[in-house]
Amino acid sequence: MANILWLQGGACSGNTMSFLNAEEPSACDLVTDFGMNILWHPSLGMELGDNLQQMLRDCVSGKIKLDIFVFEGTVVNAPNGTGEWNRFAGRPMKEWVRELSDAADFVVAIGDCATWGGIPATAPNPSDSQGLQFLKRDHGGFLGKDFKAKSGLPVINIPGCPAHPDWVTQILVAVATGRAGDLTLDDFQRPKTFFQSFTQTGCTRNMHFAYKVSATEFGQRKGCLFYDLGCRGPMTHSPCNRILWNRVSSKTRAGMPCLGCTEPEFPFFDLAPGTVFKTQTVMGVPKDMPEGVDKKGYIKLTGAAKAAAPAWVEQDIFVV
Amino acid sequence: MVKGAAVSPEQATVNNELRVRLRDMLEDRLETEVEPRAYDDNTTQSIVVRLQELAPDDYENKLRIAGFTLMPWRAGDEIESACATCMYYVVHRRFCELPELMLPVEPEWSCRLWRI
Ligand code: SF4
Ligand code: SF4
Ligand code: SF4
Repeated sequence: MANILWLQGGACSGNTMSFLNAEEPSACDLVTDFGMNILWHPSLGMELGDNLQQMLRDCVSGKIKLDIFVFEGTVVNAPNGTGEWNRFAGRPMKEWVRELSDAADFVVAIGDCATWGGIPATAPNPSDSQGLQFLKRDHGGFLGKDFKAKSGLPVINIPGCPAHPDWVTQILVAVATGRAGDLTLDDFQRPKTFFQSFTQTGCTRNMHFAYKVSATEFGQRKGCLFYDLGCRGPMTHSPCNRILWNRVSSKTRAGMPCLGCTEPEFPFFDLAPGTVFKTQTVMGVPKDMPEGVDKKGYIKLTGAAKAAAPAWVEQDIFVV
Repeated sequence: MVKGAAVSPEQATVNNELRVRLRDMLEDRLETEVEPRAYDDNTTQSIVVRLQELAPDDYENKLRIAGFTLMPWRAGDEIESACATCMYYVVHRRFCELPELMLPVEPEWSCRLWRI
């Protein structure tokens, strides 16, 4: 039986909604099939007031063994480093986060806010928010870069805005069933099993990407969204086209560009007007290239690919 | 025209005729606004807004505002902009699918909205 405690800092509850919609496995399966005991969760917890405070204190003291501490949302430090803008159970949330992280065997950050600050930490970051072990790309965050939970692992980061429900439950199952040792983490402490491949891996528009046929409108079935509509699929690490959303589709399959929500810089360009859903270019060449591709190579490849494009690639191949 | 649909022979004829007309206009030294190039998003946006105000068959002003040339445009050693490599160019139809233009073109033509 693994005890899980889930708390929420500066967040919109999107990851909670995502978690409650999980299917493989579902949130109920965690309890019935995988022996997890959800000590408390903002939408599921039964305890209130003094009882909740007592439970949290018991987790900190070790009276209740805390196997997995899950945090959703940013650590709020405002005003003036006190964290008073986000009070919970009688004190600033950040104080609970510090003590519970030290007490837990594993600490799991869910969603961009908890991993690297996400939207709340976008400049000018009025709530002085941080992720648990990162602030955007900078290692450190609230717990510091040397933090390790009792298991010896750093914070396990499951980014996304929100994270896909099955990324969350599958990692929780791996940890709770003693297979955390099988998880390899990348430089941003994301499980490689999900975040080594790209959003583009498995996208139905890959042939259009290869032959440089562009979509010019949202929802258009033909064409790739990289060239004009700002798709970040070629440089975003996520399994969105391998583990489909609602088991049926993904943003890019539906004709919406990937916003790169699993990367530390999200939201990109600090949401400046004109930067969302529009490929940013310098002299007509994209500012952000597909990962590992340089500008010269990209220009050459594009010329060759367009010249070689077959006629069918210009037509709608997804006919009904 | 429905985007992504194959072009009917009738439509192909219309496109071919229009392409010849556009070439004639450009060869007759229609003065087009080749500069400033749309090298940043603000310039691109200001050109696109002007194009959006035009009637779909106002070909002369489309060519003028987009800064059409009959030859590729060169910027430094690395970048040569021609319809042939532009993201809006549909190779087999020889057509520009930039929503504000939607014109039959030739691969060696160019305009200042080129993007790769
Ligand atoms: S739509 Fe996006 S993810 Fe799909 S092929 Fe194009 S760039 Fe890649
Ligand atoms: S497609 Fe991109 S923006 Fe959408 S959920 Fe996946 S990584 Fe995030
Ligand atoms: S937008 Fe591209 S394809 Fe269209 S006319 Fe300009 S250079 Fe040619």
